Amino acid sequence: MFRLALSRLGTSRLRTALTMLGVIIGVASVVALVGVGQGATGGITARLQGLGTNLLTISPGAARTGFTRGAAGSSNTLTQEDATALAALSGIAAVEPEVSSSGFVVAGSQNTTTTVLGTTPAYPEVRAFTIADGTFFNQASVDHSLRVVVLGATTATDLGLTSSAIGQTITIGGVPFQLVGILQAKGSTGPVSQDDQAIIPITTARAYFSGGDKVRTIGVSVADANQIELAKATITTTLQARHGVTASALDFSIADQAQLLSTFSSVGATLALLLGGIASISLLVGGIGIMNIMLVSVRERTREIGIRKAIGARGRDILAQFLIEALTISLIGGIIGIAVGLTISVLISTVAGWAIVFSPVTILLAVFFSLAVGVIFGVLPARQAARLDPIVALRYE
Amino acid sequence: MTAVPLAPELLVGTPLIELRGVTRVYSTGRLEVPALRGVDVDVWPGEFVAIIGHSGSGKTTLMNIIGCLDRPTDGTYRIAGEDVSSFDDDGLARIRSRTIGFVFQNYNLLPRTSALENVATPLLYQGVGRRERLERAKAPLERLGLGDRLTHEPSELSGGQQQRVAIARALVTEPALILADEPTGNLDTASGEEVMAILHELNDEGRTIVLITHEAEVAAKAQRQIHVRDGMIVS
Repeated sequence: MFRLALSRLGTSRLRTALTMLGVIIGVASVVALVGVGQGATGGITARLQGLGTNLLTISPGAARTGFTRGAAGSSNTLTQEDATALAALSGIAAVEPEVSSSGFVVAGSQNTTTTVLGTTPAYPEVRAFTIADGTFFNQASVDHSLRVVVLGATTATDLGLTSSAIGQTITIGGVPFQLVGILQAKGSTGPVSQDDQAIIPITTARAYFSGGDKVRTIGVSVADANQIELAKATITTTLQARHGVTASALDFSIADQAQLLSTFSSVGATLALLLGGIASISLLVGGIGIMNIMLVSVRERTREIGIRKAIGARGRDILAQFLIEALTISLIGGIIGIAVGLTISVLISTVAGWAIVFSPVTILLAVFFSLAVGVIFGVLPARQAARLDPIVALRYE
Repeated sequence: MTAVPLAPELLVGTPLIELRGVTRVYSTGRLEVPALRGVDVDVWPGEFVAIIGHSGSGKTTLMNIIGCLDRPTDGTYRIAGEDVSSFDDDGLARIRSRTIGFVFQNYNLLPRTSALENVATPLLYQGVGRRERLERAKAPLERLGLGDRLTHEPSELSGGQQQRVAIARALVTEPALILADEPTGNLDTASGEEVMAILHELNDEGRTIVLITHEAEVAAKAQRQIHVRDGMIVS
């Protein structure tokens, strides 16, 4: 039966190929668009994870001058002691207080203006940075307010500094610092690049640039990603007690990276579904193409059907013959479509720089759908063929 | 009921074909057109019977019913002992597959299909495996002198050769009945005589043959003639 279908399809190759093309385009676009959707989601998720998945960022609340409420983060309510207190809490892996200012950095004949961030050695762990060259400064550097600096990848490039420059002296705001390390680039998230900064010990930053005991931000790395809500609650209670404020008038806020991540993931999933849905329309059109050709084929081969019935074929034999033809077209078309679709999604992912997502579920679904298209759109013509009256069919010219 | 004269030596056992009071009425909208009005036919195993009649006489309708392509409106039809009058489509297909071999006026071979595949096709619908089908299809073709034409497609064969392929196809299932509808109608005289000779040869081997024709000359070569006129058997 299968052999019969193949030989019949072979006798009208161009028609078979064109019919198949409908299915190929349909399946390929489903596979490609779903792949691209998943790739895009994966890309965004990967970048967000680059920020540190277990990261909580604590910022001061708005400053109040009389009755005027300032912008969020404008007050100076967070202190070094807050950070120390938070580090002592259970379930917290690491804490890094940050102060920042803008600084004019000079290295030899090159110069740039960048963010000067004062922090502690916990910074790379909390913010998920890796060191490309050299080392990050240690606790001793913080304890002794040493003038050492770690540069972001972009800043280092701007200043023309490479791994060979470790140990060199550069100046920040006219103060000489020793370069001890360069961070691995993470790529930008939004308008502010995390790779463009000069990182120095927080004590040194206070001594030379910002002064006082206040902290701009505290980054907290939670030990267990599932305990983020609990950690948020504990931090809130602790800071509330320390600052002597009520729950309705908090002078700080906690930003949750995981929340952002899940929002983006669900947006990505919706996007993939939407793209897949649009692509399914072309698959549907491909299916209608099969039905159309099969109907024409039944009409053309009416006499053949009559002969087959006269020599003993039952309705179901004829049904099977035409159904197998439709299925063969849709299955072969489906397989080619998957290959084309995967190629397209790999190309797009490569160009966009996303990880290539190879989802076996998508492939199985595509095979299933192309078979389903064959059955659904093949049944009607095949039934029409099976029901032909042999006497009428034999006389058909 | 007019008893049809029979060759005496065949009056044994039961008839292969037994039609009793068979009518066939075609309904076209409001009009009811009777094509057969109460026909009795008996064909005994080993007979060579010609059904003769002009166009419009009802002989084609009779052939369709005998060939299990159609059902009688009324009356009973038994073939090889089975009452098929009320069989469903699948049941009739089974009888066509097992019991009847068709030879048509216009050959009705499958286009773009080799002679061997054509002859093997009835076996496909009996569920015979491909290898065995092709093996069994060879014998009747070789017997009819087409051993060197196995891979030829119908369009590459002459009319006489095509009709011989069709006869081979009718023979491959070893049917009890060969039903030939105007088998010489499209052939030149020589090929026609050749086909008739083959049918006679098959009859000599004991096969039952029913031939439908409008030509008295062709009918005359059968052992017995059944004349159909206006949907009735006249002799």
